[in-house]
Amino acid sequence: MEKELLQEDSQIIVIILIAILVLLLMAVALVLFFFFSRKKIIAAELEKANLALSYQKDLLHSTIETQEEERKRIAQDLHDAISAKLNVVSLSANVLIDGTLDKREQQQTLQHILSVTTRTLESSRRLAHNLLPPILENFGLQAAIEELCDEFISSKKVKVNYEIKYKDLLSKSNELHIFRIIQELLNNSVRHGKAENVILKIDDTNEQLDLEYVDNGDGFDTESVNKNKGIGLRNIESRVEILDGMLSYYSEIGNGVTFNISTKKT
Amino acid sequence: MELTKFLGYFSTVLLIINTVLYIKALHKSKAFMFFAFFLIISTIVQVSMSILGAILHLSNLYMVNVFLMLQFLLLSFFFKSLLKKNIILVFTALIIALLAYQYLQDLELFFRYNPIGIGITHSILVIYAISYLYQVLQKQKPKFLYVTIGLFLYLICNTLILASGNLVFNINISQEVYAILFRVNAVLYIIFQILIFIEWRKNYYKKIPKSL
Repeated sequence: MEKELLQEDSQIIVIILIAILVLLLMAVALVLFFFFSRKKIIAAELEKANLALSYQKDLLHSTIETQEEERKRIAQDLHDAISAKLNVVSLSANVLIDGTLDKREQQQTLQHILSVTTRTLESSRRLAHNLLPPILENFGLQAAIEELCDEFISSKKVKVNYEIKYKDLLSKSNELHIFRIIQELLNNSVRHGKAENVILKIDDTNEQLDLEYVDNGDGFDTESVNKNKGIGLRNIESRVEILDGMLSYYSEIGNGVTFNISTKKT
Repeated sequence: MELTKFLGYFSTVLLIINTVLYIKALHKSKAFMFFAFFLIISTIVQVSMSILGAILHLSNLYMVNVFLMLQFLLLSFFFKSLLKKNIILVFTALIIALLAYQYLQDLELFFRYNPIGIGITHSILVIYAISYLYQVLQKQKPKFLYVTIGLFLYLICNTLILASGNLVFNINISQEVYAILFRVNAVLYIIFQILIFIEWRKNYYKKIPKSL
């Protein structure tokens, strides 16, 4: 057999065998390359999916947290503004029923009941108003934002310069998101930033809405806030995400904050 | 010579087993159907070639030529349903036309190997196989992955072996030496059949008892 292989004519068979071997090696290399690339690609995809999942989890957590915070606030408000005052009314009424008071005292107590009820009514109206301002539903986003800014101005805590040009660009539910974002920003400026001046500009071209918000408060460190975001900021982020908009903010400690939000027509 | 025969019979047995398994699950998909047809045709050709050549001692080379055309046609349709590209049909038509012209020009070609035809058809099938591998790079559980790899490995080497088939007629090489090539081919074919079996085992094995 070996002798035959060494014959001149048989040489060609040897060459063919070598060629087949080389081809086979290359083909196997290609198949191995395919399998390794596949492994890598699938691992990368998996990582991407995990990342998206953890982000979604985060979002869910912050939503629940916000909800709980809101409930706590409402409970506190109900307790302070309504229950406590109604208690006073009920006590006074009991005193009246006992009938131990003279005419003048009765009159006084009734007067007191009346004033407390009026204030309670006012508080409950304000509470409901804060939860969902009726003006937004009835008169639209522009009026609602203007009223919100005016409320802050009249509280004397902060001066708000606003310039709002808005014409029904967004859907009702998205308008509420914009309103909530501004509410959150103003609350943050007053509560955390202790700002004195706020500039709010909303511009509405036909295609998109641009919002610029600047205050002169304490500001925050954007580096550290990236690692550990407060509920307020996360809330704004998720709302912008729902709007499918773009959010950018800039801040330095002691130099106030600047927020820019733009969103497309919906 | 005994080894050559053994490898030949062994690969035929594997082919028959695979064919039976694939026929049982014939209705799975279009690609599956074309592949099963390819196996059926392979079995028929393989068995009839054995009968013609080994038992009746008649020339069976023209069957190889017919088989190669059918193989190209069925595997083209197989890849067409996997890759979902209509251009494959255009290629197939062009090449079938070319082959038809070639054979009509020289009818004697049926009784020799056709290196040009083998080269072209096999290369195109190899390109289809690589395209399919590229396409499933990202898929989690691709169908026909093992079959495609088997086809790819087998066709690449088989091209050279079949294309050099005419050497037997031209130069003075002993049957003994030439048989080495056939053994290599048979071993590759057995690997191909094993991969087909793995494909069936991985993707279709569990589903069969349900349909019975």
